Amino acid sequence: MFILTKISDLVQVTPGDFEKKSRQAIEDNINAKYSNRVIQKIGLCICMYDLIWASEGLIGHGTGLVNINVEFRLLVFRPFKGETIVGKISSATPEGIHIRTDFFEEIFVHFKELPESTEFDHNQKVWTWNMEEGEDRIFYDKNEMVRLQVIDEVWHDQAPDSTADDAAEKAKKISPYNVRGTMMKEGLGVCLWWDG
Amino acid sequence: MKILEAQSAVLTNFEVYSFIKRQSKKSGPPSLQTLREELIKYFESHPGPLSQRPITYKDSSIPKLLERLRKYEITKGEMIMIFNLRPTTIITLNTVIEDMEDRFTEEQQQDIVEGIVEVLGEFPPTEEAEEEGDAMDMTEAAQ
Repeated sequence: MFILTKISDLVQVTPGDFEKKSRQAIEDNINAKYSNRVIQKIGLCICMYDLIWASEGLIGHGTGLVNINVEFRLLVFRPFKGETIVGKISSATPEGIHIRTDFFEEIFVHFKELPESTEFDHNQKVWTWNMEEGEDRIFYDKNEMVRLQVIDEVWHDQAPDSTADDAAEKAKKISPYNVRGTMMKEGLGVCLWWDG
Repeated sequence: MKILEAQSAVLTNFEVYSFIKRQSKKSGPPSLQTLREELIKYFESHPGPLSQRPITYKDSSIPKLLERLRKYEITKGEMIMIFNLRPTTIITLNTVIEDMEDRFTEEQQQDIVEGIVEVLGEFPPTEEAEEEGDAMDMTEAAQ
């Protein structure tokens, strides 16, 4: 689920941060820039994991900013394809089931990735499964913890595709990183069904 | 910004949890503080093994379990999932081991599960299920 990504970047420490220890000022700077952001094809950045190297600080002309070149490792959320993870059902539609973790919302299981003899109940807006013939249907209820296997990821670069006023707004509406999963295999789906 | 190495290491949830716990005393931008709280909440949610108290994971758990399961040639990705999800039944083991039935006999599957329980522990039986309070089961039992 979590990886470390090695990055080099230029950190600019403002005079307001001069009272901090340099190590701390660098870390805060990196975290402010990366934390809770998605880097395309890398994943959801959590925070700096460790600082590998930092140059001497150079004060920029006219700005008073201290420029430091750094190399560091970033802690990143990036479940791999084929990985089984746990999440919570956030909503259901005729297309499938939306699942989230406490820190990441964009996980989706298409109805084609649910086991055979699942059906969408339009009144209750919930997917149900007839696990064994002759028995009652069981429910993929909202807020249930489920196990799913990651099968794909969809990236969306939020850079606007034109200079039109609403282009930036529009680009931001599509989430930058989506995980697609399956619950077809035995043992996947609502945890309680299998763990009880 | 330049990516020097897209993936220089993979961490288990326990390693991330320990790291975030240590960090959470430090300050940081508000977005990171919220993110830390959300991560801790995620790890401490049932049925995640890190929700169990007293905690059953130690730093030494990783090398110990690798040693215990060495002979089965479980892949690195599968081992990561074993640490993260702690499958303690054959059915849940099936969700993390590819082609399990082709690769392992029933005895071997059982031994892998036992190895996991020995090193990583398991939720105490029945009592835990009652405490967790599956409302559906309880009403059914009452009827």
